[in-house]
Amino acid sequence: MTEPILEMRGISKRFGTTQALADVSLALYPGEIHALLGENGAGKSTLIKVMTGIHRPDQGEVWLNGRSITINNPLEAQRHGIAAIHQEPMIFPDLNVAENIFIGHGNRGSIVRWRQMYREAADILARLDVKLDVRSSARGLTLAAQQVVEIAKALSLDVRVLIMDEPTASLSAHEVDQLFKLAKTLKANGVSILFISHRMEEVFSIADRVTVLRDGRFVSTHPASEVTPESAIRDMVGRHMDDFFAKTDKEPGDLLLSVRGLSKDNVFHDINFDVRAGEVVGFAGLVGSRRTDVALALFGIETADAGSVTLNGQPVTIRTPQQAVKLGLAYVTEDRRQLGLTMPMSITTNITLPTLHQYANRFGLVQQRAERQTAETFQQRLSIRTPDVDRPAGTLSGGNQQKVVLSKWLNTQPRLLILDEPTRGIDVGAKAEVHQIIDELAQQGMGIIMISSDLPEVLAMSDRIVVMREGRQMATLNRSEATQERVMAAAMGQTK
Amino acid sequence: MNSIRRTIRPEQIREFILVLLIFAAILFFGSQIENYYQPRTFTRIASSVAILVVVAVGQTLVVLMRNIDLSVGSIVGFTAYFVGRAIVNNPELSPLSIVLLAMLMGGILGLVNGIIIAYGRVPAIITTLGTLAIYRSLLVQFSDAQTIITSALPEWLVNLPQVNAFAIGEWELKLIVLIALVIVVIFQLVVTYLPWGRRLYAIGSNPDAAAMSGLPVTRMTVSAYTLCGALSGLAGFLFLARFGNITVVAAQGMELQVVAAVVVGGINIFGGTGSMFGALLGTVLIATLEQSLLRWRIVSEFWRDALLGLLILLAVATDSVILSRLRAFWARGGVEQVQIEN
Ligand SMILES: Nc1ncnc2c1ncn2[C@@H]1O[C@H](COP(=O)(O)OP(=O)(O)OP(=O)(O)O)[C@@H](O)[C@H]1O
Ligand SMILES: [Mg+2]
Repeated sequence: MTEPILEMRGISKRFGTTQALADVSLALYPGEIHALLGENGAGKSTLIKVMTGIHRPDQGEVWLNGRSITINNPLEAQRHGIAAIHQEPMIFPDLNVAENIFIGHGNRGSIVRWRQMYREAADILARLDVKLDVRSSARGLTLAAQQVVEIAKALSLDVRVLIMDEPTASLSAHEVDQLFKLAKTLKANGVSILFISHRMEEVFSIADRVTVLRDGRFVSTHPASEVTPESAIRDMVGRHMDDFFAKTDKEPGDLLLSVRGLSKDNVFHDINFDVRAGEVVGFAGLVGSRRTDVALALFGIETADAGSVTLNGQPVTIRTPQQAVKLGLAYVTEDRRQLGLTMPMSITTNITLPTLHQYANRFGLVQQRAERQTAETFQQRLSIRTPDVDRPAGTLSGGNQQKVVLSKWLNTQPRLLILDEPTRGIDVGAKAEVHQIIDELAQQGMGIIMISSDLPEVLAMSDRIVVMREGRQMATLNRSEATQERVMAAAMGQTK
Repeated sequence: MNSIRRTIRPEQIREFILVLLIFAAILFFGSQIENYYQPRTFTRIASSVAILVVVAVGQTLVVLMRNIDLSVGSIVGFTAYFVGRAIVNNPELSPLSIVLLAMLMGGILGLVNGIIIAYGRVPAIITTLGTLAIYRSLLVQFSDAQTIITSALPEWLVNLPQVNAFAIGEWELKLIVLIALVIVVIFQLVVTYLPWGRRLYAIGSNPDAAAMSGLPVTRMTVSAYTLCGALSGLAGFLFLARFGNITVVAAQGMELQVVAAVVVGGINIFGGTGSMFGALLGTVLIATLEQSLLRWRIVSEFWRDALLGLLILLAVATDSVILSRLRAFWARGGVEQVQIEN
């Protein structure tokens, strides 16, 4: 092989008492796609932040083209040709889409040429095959659209090393395909790509080599051809994992929720579905299929223009989230950074926030021991990786933050639970755990609506699947008739 | 609907409302005050706008990036006084070097603010609250409580406020007003067409993301404060020219007017949105109220500041209620475009 472009040698990084990285080495060669695997909290994002100058390593060296360098900040990394798509989209809500893509570029001349910028931005988005108005404000973009903008941002730079930290977490199959096509073009041009994902099928469809981290330590690097998903997972968790979890079949109970002709101008149109107690109804579709908007309308964050919602046989009009919670609904948002968590507050406080009144004693004082107990129960059940539950939620790794959001809403014991991308960024082990919890909740008679871009997950967990495309309900498939092909065909608008 | 959403931004609606408010204020005072509709009234308002808006432009730069500069009033007073002193001692100095001296003086004071905030990591509101007091104290200390008086100033300076750029009949445009307008236009172009200007919006919009994207946040903070100081210095020069008599309390409390103008003009106090044109409109409204209330006998002097405070509260409150709704409405229009092609 030729010389590596970028080499990390013996990198260590500590946050307080957490050893996030310990003596990790990794080499990236020109024209390779290198997958980085590891459980939640294994240190993947931290390694990337060291590569891009966001964190300074405590020990170790970074070598670029055979020379040792120090990267002090992201701008320097950019000058060295290293760009990264970070795990949490970093959007400027007050700027428009095109500006978001180009704002970080140091070399676009001394004057902003708006027309040229719009044109170039539109070109990049066209290469990704995404229709997104480059002049529209970035405020209110869905998470998937934000991720697309992040990807475009990195692609617009002239890079030699492209790092992607879970770029596909909220994208669906079609966008992922486009992204991978582009990645392969870049690879052919000699760019080296470091790619993080918890979706094994993606990793094995694109990676040339696979490196596994566990607990901040280097475990192995192998050519992808010598790795199987099983062996990779074994390296990641250090033990053998059971197969994919699937929902247990059970006779559904009473009708909980019935939605008829739900419409909202220009957003979604004529949505019909039922949820019975003990059922999981999956929502599948591509990015922009408006699944989240339907959920937001049900939960009273947006208002529908037409249609009816019946809850337990009573027609209801839900106008505010407070009302929705009172009626026994809970909504786990896809956007944990902005809507899901209070980052500086402790994990415990975050989990018990919606149910705080249950922890008050008869003087109205919150019993911290009971709070802690709840938090620790969830920590154990979902294996939230943290030394203790009093740490600020913001110090957790991305996947572990997602587990805290889930815990928070599971703890409210709702009758109808709406999950929006519940396993986004969650590693394989914990994913099975989350699926098992969803199943248990259903067994206990909870109705569950699950929006997910992870098709295997939707297929394994749903009793019924609603497939949406551009705000329209394309198909409603029962568990027995749903296959990967049928769902994809409906989502892409192909009718047989 | 969509085409309307694309051509008009919510901020423009807000600016339009502001124009209506200015007219409403003029009509109201016209009905309350005798001989209100005279060129003199408007010339006076315009001169007051000229000084305020130069400072408001600087303040806008700072506020756009989610900061604030409370020391501007002290900087204006400081430069007005010491530039005055310099002219009195060296009457041969050319007008241009005087202007440059004023901007340099203000720029240095602004640079100090910027360095403390960017490198010392002291919150902007605390830093500039401190320098507000410090700069004023320096002025008091080094002036020996003497005042600059008009008669000691060269003629060209004393006459400057009366110089017309051009006049149509009784309606005239003063040179200093023209200069102020040119500054507004220049900085509107700066924040629209220079990468430096666009980055102000980005930093104010999401400071974490700005740092992560590699934007030079520290350098930008220093340069924005330096510019704000330099513009305040220029305003100090205009202040000297307009009033001639400068005491140690000159321009005291001006920060309230300037922050009011900026906030009323639609610059989000949390950064990220607003324009120089908005700041100009805000200044015009504030100056109109100021000058008109002076002549409206029903209202005592003490109520004027209260009215300014009320305006700030109203502006911020309407911003967070009305504008956020408008924005949500607009944003949804934007998201509609998110579709996948096959
Ligand atoms: N700023 C921080 N302060 C304190 N601890 C941190 C900080 N950033 C990361 N950590 C800790 O370092 C460890 C590694 O985190 P990292 O984000 O690198 O994990 P990851 O492999 O990216 O996981 P995921 O798959 O969940 O994204 C975790 O235990 C995390 O809690
Ligand atoms: Mg991560």
